[in-house]
Amino acid sequence: MTNSFSTLLLITATALSLTGAAAFAQESGSSGIGAIRAELEQVRKDYESAIAGLETRLRQLEERQIATEQAAIELALTPVRQVGAAPLPSPSLAEDPYAAYAAPAATEAPSTGLGGGSIIQLGLSGLFAAGGSSLENAALQNLQAGGHDPNRNGFTVQNVELTIGAAVDPYFDAQANFIFLIDADGETVVELEEAYLTTRALPYGLQFKAGQFYTEFGRQNKLHPHSWSFVDQPLILSRFFGPDSLRSQGARLSWLMPTDWYSELTFAMQNASGETVTSFLFGPGEEVGGHTLTDRSARNFSDLLYSARWMNGLDLTDSISANIGISALWGPNASGRDTNTRIFGADFYAKWQPAVTQRGFPFVSLHTEVLQRRYEAGDALDPTRETLKDWGMFSQALWGFKPGWVAGLRWEYAGAKGNTALDPLRDTRKRLSPNLTWYPTEFSKLRLQYNRDWFQHLPGTPTASALWLQIEFSLGSHTAHVF
Amino acid sequence: MMKNFNLLSAVILLAALFAGSAGFAGSAEARVRVVTTTQDLAAIAEAIGGDDVKVESLTPGTRDPHYAVAKPSMIRRVFRADLLILIGADMEIGWLPPLLQSARNSKVLPGNPGFMDMSRFVQLLGVQSGPVSRALGDVHAKGNPHYWLDPRNGLRMARAIAARLGEIDPDNAAAYQNRFAAFARTMEIKLPQWQAALASLKGQPVIAYHKSFDYLADIFGFRIVDEVEPKPGIAPSAATLGALIQRIRREQISLLIMEPYYERRSARYLNEKTGLRAAVLPQSVGAEKSITTYFDLFDGITAAFKAAQAPQEDQ
Repeated sequence: MTNSFSTLLLITATALSLTGAAAFAQESGSSGIGAIRAELEQVRKDYESAIAGLETRLRQLEERQIATEQAAIELALTPVRQVGAAPLPSPSLAEDPYAAYAAPAATEAPSTGLGGGSIIQLGLSGLFAAGGSSLENAALQNLQAGGHDPNRNGFTVQNVELTIGAAVDPYFDAQANFIFLIDADGETVVELEEAYLTTRALPYGLQFKAGQFYTEFGRQNKLHPHSWSFVDQPLILSRFFGPDSLRSQGARLSWLMPTDWYSELTFAMQNASGETVTSFLFGPGEEVGGHTLTDRSARNFSDLLYSARWMNGLDLTDSISANIGISALWGPNASGRDTNTRIFGADFYAKWQPAVTQRGFPFVSLHTEVLQRRYEAGDALDPTRETLKDWGMFSQALWGFKPGWVAGLRWEYAGAKGNTALDPLRDTRKRLSPNLTWYPTEFSKLRLQYNRDWFQHLPGTPTASALWLQIEFSLGSHTAHVF
Repeated sequence: MMKNFNLLSAVILLAALFAGSAGFAGSAEARVRVVTTTQDLAAIAEAIGGDDVKVESLTPGTRDPHYAVAKPSMIRRVFRADLLILIGADMEIGWLPPLLQSARNSKVLPGNPGFMDMSRFVQLLGVQSGPVSRALGDVHAKGNPHYWLDPRNGLRMARAIAARLGEIDPDNAAAYQNRFAAFARTMEIKLPQWQAALASLKGQPVIAYHKSFDYLADIFGFRIVDEVEPKPGIAPSAATLGALIQRIRREQISLLIMEPYYERRSARYLNEKTGLRAAVLPQSVGAEKSITTYFDLFDGITAAFKAAQAPQEDQ
């Protein structure tokens, strides 16, 4: 292009200078005017034909250029056009990565392979601890009262959990969690931790659940050990709900209310007996606050455990979200024939995360729960009749300061009214636990925790220290990211 | 027992009052409620749905959608949705399944018209054919889920969304098709412009931070020869960065591309050692405030490339 332009300019300039020369010649004499005129005419003709030739070339070049550009655009648009014309894929369950969450088709059995489109979610997680305390094993087991707490100097297999879950049919989802652990005597213990079905398609925001499940009380109670932020369970939960958190057989109805924010109301009925319901019927021969429990089985509806929970979830800002809940439990206890227990709780959880995060970091979270129990011990005619009043709280803060790294601090307090100093489950107890966790990936973690304990039940020994190292692996279905 | 009963009644009454006062005001809305897992999907759904839909994204474009958590506010949105649009290919595998279970909305469960897994409307790259192990890092066996970074896939998604909205809301089917036609026309103008602007990238070797730009490389013709992360989702170590420096020098690689949410220290270190320049690309709609439409996204990516290629003053 530039070349043709320079040629054009050169010719124009030559032509102009020639014209100027001719004019000058005209002035200088008049004898050869005719010859000069003829010459000039010739120059003009040459010049015009040259210009015409150049214009033609220029036009040809421009046309070629436009054609090239057009071809490039056509080429670029081919994918656009192809996309527009290709048939839309039709939904097919077999290729659907969410097949496990889809309702199985009524007529056609989908592939059951555990690869890509598996319809069953299968997971195995293992949680192990190593460490030691300033106390002997026997005393340590009173301090670490949780069934999955590290409670031995040396190694503890805290929890090996097998999880199986899937959609049953268009109406139900189901899940079961089996727990394997090795107890203080070296025996392998198997527990059916949870096994329940939930409805998928009830209207009006209702959901029904039935089977064996964690009671929805507070935030911490229903967390499985591998989701805990500390190596052991809060001591007030060990006191009120026993070593394995509160769980039992029963049914639950939950209502997600049509509010502008998340507001859920839950109501459940469960069996009140067994070692996972320690504040209620528990088991004959067990002791609570010095009262020996009788064999009191369920006679009517008032002998079941009832629970209610109201949970609200709010986004306070784009980077801060909070959950606020209140929970209540009431049911019979076996210290007498007509004795009842009531437990109330309030829980608060908030999490801050900036607008820009890498792998979910950084973040800061705060979790606090307060629980209070009123336990009627002994029948009206029982001379030892009393009302046991216990309460406790825990508050924990986590700081995810760089991808994969979380620092945590937990403070706990538990106490009771009356002279309870010698009862390891009712004395005044305080515990401070700083920890540091490293998550190499979403599927493994390493945690180091220090526990500083203050208690009354060991005369002459008011405090204890312990250091625990915890390691976890997770296989199979992807770990759930729950708020 | 009587006392307990009174307490229960009081709680239920209180809850019902809340529900009554706050809830039913919004239920008369006629627009189709669309919930998407990412802002890219929201931008396309908005372009197709216009005023006939109300679109909300569950995650912001400033965060990696893989690491989101199922917050109650998200459960709430899915509970009320008529159409749920997701990236799929395991992108949301950590949080969408528990969220769907809590949301108790059968309309948006897999297999129903209200559930749209967009990965099934595009051609995925990097589908693993052999055995897959997590020892390889965060490998997505079903294929690389970052497919929205190819504008042709944007068009495929827009077309599928127009069709699906037409099924869910037949009264406005024509409007959805018209908006799709407008979307396709804009794409016909924009795509050649982006390709012309990034023509100099063609055939160039480029380092990516994470395995998330394969689709961008596919449409704009550059070659991703290595990643800063030694394995997807695994942070680089001094040793892996050292090996990378050798390679950058040997193969004279001059450009690194990365998402805004990754750490910049590795990029600065590589720049000091080799002069490698980093183009921090907005990877999603919403990654920068000015990027609000799907077309803005590629304008932003083009601008970020240009800025990284422009002669820089000595630092």
